[in-house]
Formats: sequence, C-alpha cells, structure tokens
Amino acid sequence: MARTFGVVTDSTADLPAEWRERYGIEVVPLKVLFGKETLRDGVDMTSDEFFTRLAASSSLPTTSAPSPGEFAEVYQRLAKDHDGCISIHIGARLSATAEAARVGAEAVEGFKVNVIDSQSVSMPLAFLCRVAAESETLDQATAAVEQRVPKCRVLALLDTLRYLEMGGRLSRAQAMIGTMLDLKPLLLVSENAEIKPVDRVRTRSRAIQRMIEFVRGEQPIERLAVMHAQAPDEAEGIAAELRKEFPDQEIPLGQIGCVLGTHTGPKALGLVYIKA
Amino acid sequence: MVATGKTTGVDGQLFKRALLGSLSWLATNHEEVNRLNVFPVPDGDTGTNMLLTLQSAVEDVKESNAAEVSKIAKLASHGSLMGARGNSGVILSQIFRGFARAVEGKSSLTPAELAAAFEEAANAAYRAVNKPTEGTILTVAREAGRAAGTAASNPDATVPRVIAAAAAGARSAVLKTPTQLQILRDAGVVDAGGFGLQLILEGMLKSVEESEPIASLNEPRRPVVAASQVGLALPEGGWGYCTEFLIEGNNLDTDLIRGQIESLGNSVLVVGEPELVKVHVHTDDPTSVINLAGGYGKVLKLSVGDMSTQHRRILEAAGGAGDARPPRPNGAGLVAVVAGRGLVDIFRGLGVDAIIEGGQTMNPSTQDMLTAIESVPYEEVILLPNNGNVIPAAKQVVGLTKKKVHVIETHSVPQGVSAVVAFRPERAGDENVRAMKAEAERVQTIEVTHAVRDTRSNGVKVKKGDVIGLINDRLEIAGDDYSEVVNKALRKLGPDTYELVTVYRGEQASDAELKSLESAIRSSYPALEVEVQQGGQQHYPFILSVE
Repeated sequence: MARTFGVVTDSTADLPAEWRERYGIEVVPLKVLFGKETLRDGVDMTSDEFFTRLAASSSLPTTSAPSPGEFAEVYQRLAKDHDGCISIHIGARLSATAEAARVGAEAVEGFKVNVIDSQSVSMPLAFLCRVAAESETLDQATAAVEQRVPKCRVLALLDTLRYLEMGGRLSRAQAMIGTMLDLKPLLLVSENAEIKPVDRVRTRSRAIQRMIEFVRGEQPIERLAVMHAQAPDEAEGIAAELRKEFPDQEIPLGQIGCVLGTHTGPKALGLVYIKA
Repeated sequence: MVATGKTTGVDGQLFKRALLGSLSWLATNHEEVNRLNVFPVPDGDTGTNMLLTLQSAVEDVKESNAAEVSKIAKLASHGSLMGARGNSGVILSQIFRGFARAVEGKSSLTPAELAAAFEEAANAAYRAVNKPTEGTILTVAREAGRAAGTAASNPDATVPRVIAAAAAGARSAVLKTPTQLQILRDAGVVDAGGFGLQLILEGMLKSVEESEPIASLNEPRRPVVAASQVGLALPEGGWGYCTEFLIEGNNLDTDLIRGQIESLGNSVLVVGEPELVKVHVHTDDPTSVINLAGGYGKVLKLSVGDMSTQHRRILEAAGGAGDARPPRPNGAGLVAVVAGRGLVDIFRGLGVDAIIEGGQTMNPSTQDMLTAIESVPYEEVILLPNNGNVIPAAKQVVGLTKKKVHVIETHSVPQGVSAVVAFRPERAGDENVRAMKAEAERVQTIEVTHAVRDTRSNGVKVKKGDVIGLINDRLEIAGDDYSEVVNKALRKLGPDTYELVTVYRGEQASDAELKSLESAIRSSYPALEVEVQQGGQQHYPFILSVE
C-alpha cells in the first residue's frame, strides 16, 4: 500500500474483518477477565464464544484496557515502514485505552502518533478508521477524523441494564429506570462519550420502532450501521427498514465484541452513525 | 508519561492522574462496596457515596493543569468537602483535607513526603470523627499510612513503591476489620468504607504503574458475603432522621458545633474549614439541629431522610431508587394516586415526585391531592388518578391552586404506569401530557376480583364470590378461578397483537395462585412475555397490563 502512515484502533471499534484487511488497519485488543483468566478481545475469543460463555458464567466478567506497552509494540512495528500513524480509540470517558495509547506512543521515539479520543465506541470508530485510511497524508487523515469526532453517535437498546450498571458506566438514576419494572431504555452515546437516556419503553418492539424514529430525526447522516449482540435477525430487520429510508447508504451489520459486550450484555442492538 | 525510572516525585499532574485512576477503579468496583453495607440503616450505599464524593473531588482537578501537587490536592480537598455524602464520604473528604494540609506549599513530593502526607491524611480523618471506631475506614487509612511510611524509609523507595505499600497495607487492614468489629463478624463481611479506600489506593497504583497493572488487582475479590444475606432487624424506637447539611459562615469552630450537635443525636460528623462546615447526624429532632446550625451561619444543601422509611424500603425491595433526586430544571412535577406498597415503590422508582395513598375504596380527597401538588417544587404538575373513582376529585384540583395542573385521566394502575414510563424530565409539560396520554391509551387493563354480590352486568351473570374479570373497567368474564378468568380475558383481547403481560399481584393472592396463573398464561400464550410485580394492592388479587 502506498500509504505512508499507519492506522491503529482498538477492539471496541468492532471493525469488520474485511475492512481490516482491505485497509490494513491494526487492532489492539482490550481484555476480558473471567475470574483469573484474561482473554484478548477478538483474538483469544470471538464475540460468539464470549456470549456463550457469558450465559454460562455465574459471575460477570470485567474488562481492562491494553497496556501502554502493548500499544508501544504496535507503534514500534509500524515505525519500521511508516512515517507515523493515527491511533483512533474508544472515548477516554469510557475506558483508559486512549490514555494507554498516549503513554505507549511516548515510549516510541521519533515516530509520530496522533492519538484520537473518538469520544465514542463501536463502529463509529471503524468508520473513522476508514476515513483515515482513505486519506492521503497523516495530517489530512487526522483533520478528517477530528472533524467527525463530535458527530459520532451510538443509539443503543439494551435488553437489561444489569451489565452496564455492574460495569459502573451508568447508574440506575442516570437511566431514568425504576428498580422494579423491566424497562427498555434507549441510550445515546454522543459527544464526549456522554451516555444519556433518550427514551424508555416497556416492550422491545416498541423500542425498535423508537430507535428508527429517532434516527430519522437525525438526518443528514454520513454513515450508518446496525450493531447487535446475538440478535442478527432483529438487526437485519432494522437494516432492511432503514435501507428504505436511506437508499444511498450501505448500512453494514456489525457484531458487538467481547469487551463492549461485557457492558451491553446479550441481545443489545445499536444504531451507530456519523452525522453529516 | 510515566516511564520506568522517571517517576521521582509526585507533582500536580501525577497526583491528578492518580486521582483519576482512583475514580475509575472505584467506579468499576463500587457496586461491590455497596454489597458490603451491613449497618441496619445504610444512609445510602457506601460505595455509591464514596464514588460520588470522589467524583466531586476530581471534578475541578480534571480541568486543572497545575504543576504543583499542593494546588491539585487543594482542589480535591475542596471538591470532596462539597460533594461529601454519607459517613464514609465525609471521612474520605477529611482524608483529602489532611493530605492537602500536609502538602501545602509543595510543588512535588518525594516518596518520604508522600508517605508522610498519607499518614497525616489518616490523622486528620481520626480528628474529624467524634468517637473513632477501629475496624473502619479510619483503621484502614492509618494502616495504609503506616505501611507507606515503612516503605518510604527504605533507601530504594520510589513513589510507586510507596503507593503499592499503602495499597497493600490497606488491603491487609481491610481483611482484619471483621476481627475488630462485631457487626462485621456477625455479617461475615469486611468493612465497606475501608474497602472503598483500598480501591482508591489501588486505583492510584494502577495509574502510576508503568505497564501492566499488578496481577493481584485482577484476581476475583470475594472475601465477603453479600449483605443481602444479613438479617436486618429494626430496633424499637425507630431510627430518626439522617440529617446532612453545610454551614457557611465565619470562624466556624467545628469542635464547638460538634459538641452541641452531639447532644441532639448520634453518628455525629462535623468537619470542614472555618468558612464551610459539613454536618452529618442521625437525630430524632432535625428541626432543633437545623435551628442550632442556623445560629452559626447559612445552612446549605440540607437533606433530611427518614431512616425508618428507608429501612422499611430496604427490607421490602433490594436497592432503592435513590431518594436524593435533584429537582428537574424546567419540566413539570409528577403526582400520582397509588395504593399498595409494591405499587408505591414502582411509581416512586419511575420518578413520581409525590404519592397520595389511595385508590379503589380509599379515595383521596381533593385536599389530599392539593396538598401533594403544593408539596412538589414545580409550578406545573401532572396528576395521575389511576382509578376511575378518583378522577372527579382530581379534576377539581385544577382550579384550586396557582400551579398549572394537568390531570391525565388514567383509570387503572397499568394506564398510570404506562403514562409515567412515557414521562421525560427534559420535555415541556404539554408535550409530556400528550405523550403520556397516548401511551396510557395503548395499554389494555385486566382487573381480577371477586363479585361482592349477585348481579348481571354487561350481559355477564355473576354470583356473589365468583371470580370476575374486568377489561378496561368493563365486566366481561365470570368464572371459578383466576387462571381461567385471565386466560379468557386475554383471548378476548386477542393476544397475537400483544407482546408483554405484566402481572401486579395483590395482597390477597397466594403464592400458589400466582404460580398457577403464571403457568396458565405461559402455556396458553407461549409468545407472550410475562413479568410479575408485587403490587400489594387490596381488593384486586391480580391486575394485569397487556401491551
């Protein structure tokens, strides 16, 4: 590839394998910890394997960011045949990953690393990686990505808030959720990786309708994808519905990875997009 | 930023990163701290209180680029005092204060100075507490300080080693807490506040360690039993009120104030600066406490919680909704008429600001509703009668107050729940009313009860004692048992168009009746999701919402 700079992201980008190859994107895995066992997201364990194990596990796993050293290794490797790289990561408010990347980058002398806090999570990062990979220079890539960072959105429907709460990413009060009723909250991750509830309903089918209505109100949209955790049929249904409204969009389906899945739990659905 | 060997001293930015590390580690684990709460009346969950306190400590720190450790420590000290919640949170704020005092005027700390600051932080915490108890966060703070001091006296001492020693000292002190406190021993848990402090130190360590976090941090940490297994006994005489506030004034004397407040209650904490003092007390007479405080200066951020109520709620339902909900900025208040303890909790959990007890046979008065409406801090109020018999009185309220009152004519509990679920705090009143009405109308209600006399209604003949089913307030079915009547009612509604049945179980329904109803619905309509809630309502053994 003629590109003189590298593109790096982390496993929470839910980067489709095909894009990874096509664009030569490096993915540094976060980790899932089942008790004493540490597994690298997407390397030691696939999303499907993860959710199978989650269902069987009596205690919830925890997650951890890559170490600065793990980033340094990747940068070191890229430094051999690149002038620099852009490293696009999960919002610093949600994970220590971007901070680890920053520290790792300082350990590699003479190699320019532009660490981007995407302020988001999941496939918006994959979209940003594509934007970067299609740029000609590192500066152009950085500018194009930074310009889109405030426009990344994730609209999520979780089957239960249990996982998000256990991970400490959201309190019950924040989610406007009473303790007793099994409500379906729609959560929006917007600028600065702020997670806020935008709606709550009682049934899943109503929630899916509301998601589509919400995104309709967010036009114009540059790129759009549907994410799911073990719910491919519903995700395909949503994508089909959305393709009618956004005929120019490719609307890929993406699978939620192990680390993100630790916080969403199974049966989560997400509409992820970058506003135009 | 902190590469191996480079860490020589603790400057402002390193300390800032350490605090952020603490915050993220405590945030990740605070639920575990919450599970350790064994005191009969938690003033709130310890883990959450400490987390919120720490968040407040870090708030201003996050924005600061100060290079001097003294400046960052001062910001943390001030922030934690303003945000302190609960006992452990208040003590944590004193730990920060002691630390800030110890590092005053310093731009960077040597390992020895860091250790000394840890020790001074623990001392300050001891001084702030009226009757220091061993086996609590105080002990853990002291042992952490001691361990740090020992590590610092080693010629090879580094900052990470001192912090690692403090964390290890904290951890071993935490494990010993059950040997020091009977209540912990009885419950088979370690001290929650102490464990929280351990997490804070571990978080610091994680953030200053250069590469992988130390292995021991990733081990599953369950040396403890969940507090839910601990029986909670309510002592006679109740618990009084957990009263917390700040006093803003001049030359405030914490010792003097503490002495006076002690005569009015227990669990007294009085801490702070000459200009700002935080008070926490459990008292039967909050008014006298507040009057006393008012003599010293301006009373701010007052919170008074009835601990008997808190206690009851904890026994009934694991995890409260958090009563300390801040008022919403612009929107409308929500007031509902509800009967049944379970239903009251459900409505509260959904965000209702005031509840008037009442319903089927106990219809609340207009005055009752008016009082409730006046009690909420909003100029616009949405009122949910949740019963056909209550609607008329509810509608009268509209002209009796200066407040703008919207009555959404909910005829049943399911309609009320649906309406409240659709409520969005950020939306304007009119907009909320529209959305709530629409949702209330979408839901179908089935009410199951016994006929109180022979009658014929709506073409259905019933004998006294029969089980009868009402669909949306109309008598539609009579039969011999609950399951049969509910199944028939569902068939009438056409279950194919619905997804979820919520069963609100009334006081009269037995476990066996509930079980057989559940399994009858599931076997007849396998596509329907069934959710059971303890409604606790009288007169109706079952109320069902179908949507």
